[in-house]
Amino acid sequence: MKVRDLQHAVLPETSAEQRSRQEAVVALRRLLNTRVRPRNVEAFASEAQPAFIAAYGRAPQSPEEVQRAFLLSPSYRRWSAANRAAQEMIWVSVGEPIYRDLDRMRAAARALVTAPDRKGSLNLDPDYDPSAEVADVDIHLQPGGYAMDRGEDDVVAGALYECGGNVFSFGQGIGRADSKAGVVIRLLDERFGGFRPQRILDIGCSAGAASAAYAAHYPDAEVHAVDIGGAMLRYAHARAESLGVGVHFHQMDASAMTFADGSFDLVVSHNLMHEIGEAKRRAMMREARRLVRPGGVVIHQDVAIRDQPTIVHQVERDWDTHFNGEVHWSTYATADLRADMRAAGFAADEIVEHDLAAVQGFAGNRWYAISARKPA
Amino acid sequence: MTTTSAEALTALILSARGVRPQSLANAEAEEVLNIALALLIELSVSNDRIDRLERMVAALRDEPVSALRDVRYDGEAAQERQEAMEALLARVLRIMLDPRVQPPAAAAS
Repeated sequence: MKVRDLQHAVLPETSAEQRSRQEAVVALRRLLNTRVRPRNVEAFASEAQPAFIAAYGRAPQSPEEVQRAFLLSPSYRRWSAANRAAQEMIWVSVGEPIYRDLDRMRAAARALVTAPDRKGSLNLDPDYDPSAEVADVDIHLQPGGYAMDRGEDDVVAGALYECGGNVFSFGQGIGRADSKAGVVIRLLDERFGGFRPQRILDIGCSAGAASAAYAAHYPDAEVHAVDIGGAMLRYAHARAESLGVGVHFHQMDASAMTFADGSFDLVVSHNLMHEIGEAKRRAMMREARRLVRPGGVVIHQDVAIRDQPTIVHQVERDWDTHFNGEVHWSTYATADLRADMRAAGFAADEIVEHDLAAVQGFAGNRWYAISARKPA
Repeated sequence: MTTTSAEALTALILSARGVRPQSLANAEAEEVLNIALALLIELSVSNDRIDRLERMVAALRDEPVSALRDVRYDGEAAQERQEAMEALLARVLRIMLDPRVQPPAAAAS
């Protein structure tokens, strides 16, 4: 199943003009990403470092000093201002059709999640207070953030996530046919002997794109998915039902889930590690190991920003921490995830890090993953 | 009741949180850049609308859209287009034609 650019009943209806606007933002971001951003490292050498030396009498040393030096470069500042503006315009371009079409979307979602022949379920916890370190931040500037819930039947957070995510990804050079679940499924086929899970858990599922893709790829499997926001999960459930797949969505914290030990054959997380702090990430990894059965597989997949060749590249890549609401971007990029997996209970020889080619993308996009198989 | 585009945009803007960190040395310049980039997107939207109309007209006239676009102005029409283009340049570049720059000392006070 494709995960991006799909048609289903809970998406906002868009006019030709609204689609033009989204396509223009995609094109602007592509230009910035492919033609302007690649010059930042060069601008560090030609503008940032000389300006820092002129001001302080020595070259920048620490990541903080390299960041300060970058901001002395006019070229970097122009790109940064334009990139921030383009990121905000993503949300303008998708938010207008969502808020305009919201009554219809809410009604469509309600009909899907209450249909007698629904395949999945939605388990919201009214006593759960979404984790502040995620809920209180507009991550990648999504207005209201992942956990925004405007009450009964609200689906805005999920719609913003899916629609904005598509505009973001296409502007990033990620192909319309790319799929993070597809990358993991390929990994299971190639590196885990065609492992076919019967019970799957997707931690930090957001709008449920990967969860639905697993349910479609493994039709005999029971798929469960966890996230923190009610409106995000309502949307995810309705989306899955509209696509004709069954996924059981739960409102829970990734660091303390209520499933029994050994409940799942496969536990995955997609792009979750860079959205949570160190303590929660380690707790999530412990939970993933607790929840996978002996012989089962844990795979945490995320963005491929961890192996930068120099401190200048590392700081350049860290723009999202300072300008894009990705407060844990750098924490993730520099974390010792092997140590975290060992602390979660896996033996060193069970842990493998992967540099994975995207399923599709024009810019040679890659994904990072770290996996481990629990001994049988 | 139908939600208008302006109402939808207001709802979106009101839901956003966090400060906007500044990249350029001058905050006003950064605001103007944001406005210019937003207008760039809107120009692209308008160009798409013109394109759709051109294709519709070409289909109605049963001719290729390239033939519709291959207009060479001459005579009175060419003069009108020339004047319109010059007026557009004067409007857009007015700040360069009439800069009236404030002396630095006065600007700082």
